[in-house]
Amino acid sequence: MSDIKNMRNIGISAHIDSGKTTLSERMLFYTKRIHAIHEVRGKDGVGATMDSMELERERGITIASAATNVNWKGYSVNIIDTPGHVDFTIEVERSLRVLDGAVLVLCSVGGVQSQSITVDRQMKRYKVPRIAFINKCDRVGANPYRVKDQLVQKLGHNAVLMQIPIGLEDKLEGVVDLVSMKAIYFDGPSGEELREEAIPAHLQDEAMAKREELLDAVSMFSDELMEAMLEDQVSEELIMDAVRAGTLSQELTPVFMGSAYKNKGIQPLMDGVIQYLPNPTQVQNIALDLDQDEKEIVLESDPSKPTVALAFKLEDGQYGQLTYIRIYQGTLKKGDELYNVRSRKRFKVGRLIKMHADSMEDISQAYCGDIAALFAVDCASGDTFTAGSMNLSMTSMYVPNPVISLAIKAKDKNAQGNMAKALNRFSKEDPTFRTYVDPESSQTIIQGMGELHLEVYVERMKREYRAEVEVGQPQVAYREAISRRADFNYTHKKQTGGSGQYARVAGYIEPLESDEENYVFENSIKGGVIPTEYIPSCDKGFQAALEKGTLIGFPIVGIKASINDGQYHPVDSSDMAFQTAAIGAFREAYRRADPVIMEPIMKVSVEGPTEFQGNVFATINQRRGMIVSALEEGAFCIVEAEVPLSEMFGYSTNLRSLTQGKAEFTMEFLKYGKVPQSISEELIRAYEQKRRDEAGK
Amino acid sequence: MVKEELIARSPLRVFETSIHGGLGKGNLGVLTSRKGVGKTACLVHIATDKLLRDHHVIHVSFSQNVDHVLSWYEDIFEEISRIKHLEHARDVHDEIVRNRVIMNFSQKDVAIDQIISSLRAMIVDGGFKADAVMFDGYRLSDDNCEDLGRIRDFAQEMDLEVWFSVSALSEDVPYDEFGVSAPVKELCYYIDVLIGLTFVDDHVALTLVKDQGEEVQKHMSLKLDPKSLLIMREDEPLQT
Repeated sequence: MSDIKNMRNIGISAHIDSGKTTLSERMLFYTKRIHAIHEVRGKDGVGATMDSMELERERGITIASAATNVNWKGYSVNIIDTPGHVDFTIEVERSLRVLDGAVLVLCSVGGVQSQSITVDRQMKRYKVPRIAFINKCDRVGANPYRVKDQLVQKLGHNAVLMQIPIGLEDKLEGVVDLVSMKAIYFDGPSGEELREEAIPAHLQDEAMAKREELLDAVSMFSDELMEAMLEDQVSEELIMDAVRAGTLSQELTPVFMGSAYKNKGIQPLMDGVIQYLPNPTQVQNIALDLDQDEKEIVLESDPSKPTVALAFKLEDGQYGQLTYIRIYQGTLKKGDELYNVRSRKRFKVGRLIKMHADSMEDISQAYCGDIAALFAVDCASGDTFTAGSMNLSMTSMYVPNPVISLAIKAKDKNAQGNMAKALNRFSKEDPTFRTYVDPESSQTIIQGMGELHLEVYVERMKREYRAEVEVGQPQVAYREAISRRADFNYTHKKQTGGSGQYARVAGYIEPLESDEENYVFENSIKGGVIPTEYIPSCDKGFQAALEKGTLIGFPIVGIKASINDGQYHPVDSSDMAFQTAAIGAFREAYRRADPVIMEPIMKVSVEGPTEFQGNVFATINQRRGMIVSALEEGAFCIVEAEVPLSEMFGYSTNLRSLTQGKAEFTMEFLKYGKVPQSISEELIRAYEQKRRDEAGK
Repeated sequence: MVKEELIARSPLRVFETSIHGGLGKGNLGVLTSRKGVGKTACLVHIATDKLLRDHHVIHVSFSQNVDHVLSWYEDIFEEISRIKHLEHARDVHDEIVRNRVIMNFSQKDVAIDQIISSLRAMIVDGGFKADAVMFDGYRLSDDNCEDLGRIRDFAQEMDLEVWFSVSALSEDVPYDEFGVSAPVKELCYYIDVLIGLTFVDDHVALTLVKDQGEEVQKHMSLKLDPKSLLIMREDEPLQT
């Protein structure tokens, strides 16, 4: 087996169009995983290897995180290519969960943009040490120094330059390595031949000054280096050790630079990955022991310990479902039996695979720290697999509830079957994508985290599953809630010959104080006025009533239902009678509890030149938004706002036209907020009209 | 205590009475002291009192970190609602934050004209009808005294009042017994209300140094509690 210490699991994460797919492609080329270079939007029509889906190739964006294994100077590196769009945040977050380190790619012209901020925030949450790569130094307007400053100011990184560029824009020739103090040039048709030279005379002073900055910044992570600096005995090893210590503690971000497109700076970056990002033994991984009230257990990167692995990604391949796993502890061999902690099912490991974007390599075993893939395992994304019957679960990943839904309809019978297959697959792959059939309209509804999120799945249905679908208007996931307590005393009585139905329930409903729970049932029945066997029936009845509010037909949340009195009949009372009584009681009280409509509020971050600030404020104001803050830095400003999701449709077009395409935005779900009275009335009117139309049919 | 009662009984009513019913639209008020005495706490308490009265407030900061400013507001509101047992505190909180915007600038890079232009964009284009602008940590010196004149013109044009918390550029400058530094005194001409903060025994005392244009030296019968960081009446017990 290869030494765990010679293993790296890294992600390449950044803003869209900062060139991360091109960068991955070059990494594959230099590590001899591929033998020719294709561009993302290549003229050769092949597309970059890491962009495994056709749609991604066409749009020039990366949606699914393709994992691939490469070898660099004796180290085994698993690279996960992650998406940059926030609409696919779950993909990014899931990748970050299994990574030990990451390369944050930034564009030397665009710098740190709002999506980089979101991605960086996610990396911080998962405590991922990172190094930065300032790409596109060959572009007009490239300024890696400015981007490094932005890393400090906007992202709060303690960023230090490891290199300085030799020339910029079309004069970019190579980089000066501030550790070895040598100039590096990239020769050969694809930059594969590295040539080291003395630093050009005109860059000597600058290189010295930047090296001083580097030493000052990293010396605080190494007493040895500090001493060596005093004695003027600084060695390359001492500097690298200090940079590694700072990076692993996430208190330092080494900054590399170059141009992936022009084949410059990639090999030193790969060296940086090996030298400064952690190996799996340097990262603490925690599992929850489900037998001990979710007690945290530290997993050991020891191949002889019982196996614990996490399924972090599912993909539908040519040969069936492919499950990407990260092994946290123990060893996994072909033929081993694993236990799926969620489904409580055991299964046998058939084929064990190492993936290289679209091609694969059969392996007989994989060890802790590694990323591998399994074939034909029935599981969902986020499942934990263990050896034997260890009831451990990897820390559950935060999965937000979907905020937007869309009705879809297959165009023909053929598409109908394919659509079902696609939906089944997507909902297993992506926990933020959900689907159900609306019992009233019999329409298939898909739900997700944003317009683009759902759009991409509709496209994938068409391309990968040949399922042409018609799409309805996006629908916001409203909720209903109550504003005050209301009592009920409801009798359900029916006498239609034979045994009748009788149940009376009394009590009250009131809003829950905390947002954490949606429903609480309280039984305060004394003296058996409702027999114990019918108490769960009341609970069930209330829950049924919550499924659909009477205002606009959306689920009701944040309710406490308490029963304190009632009556039963020895012959006519039944489970069904008490359920029906509870539903009736709830509806009676609901009307008097000042019900309100709640809507998803998004946290929106808009970034653009200050000159368009007024327009940005206006767009938010027009959309019922609340501006929380405006941060100005030089010529750029970032506006943070809270805006109802229902007002965000078409925002990108609106923003583009008002800012000459110079501003961009990201959004994520924040909370549910009360809908204003006038809009609430409109929604109620529309719902009533819809019901009348349906009744008339 | 309900919101209305909280407003009526607020020590900020004493504060207003001390300065003849409040700063007034188009006027500039300054809170000044040495560093770390409690200017920001006072400023945020004054702003929170305005928000509770449904006024719209823009908080201008130069700290590079909006979260830091937000947590000041959260802490001050939490202390007020805890000490005064405010009813429906969560609802009141959600209601008042709608009337607050934080604008963050890096002062060394941004000229006053740019700040005013951004404030104007927020008020006019953003439809945010501000009643008050709070400048937190503004650095005043002879060099930027004209800035105060521009801000006053803007305040008059927009019909809003402006409060500053002001530190001197350097701690080496002389301060008087009320916490007012020599450079701030030099700028008194532009200021309508000037309040100095100083540590006295176990609390921070507030002294009115300039009152609606008149130079005075009046004890305000108010103090800042160093524990809760709230402005209190002088006779109220400190939080322990």
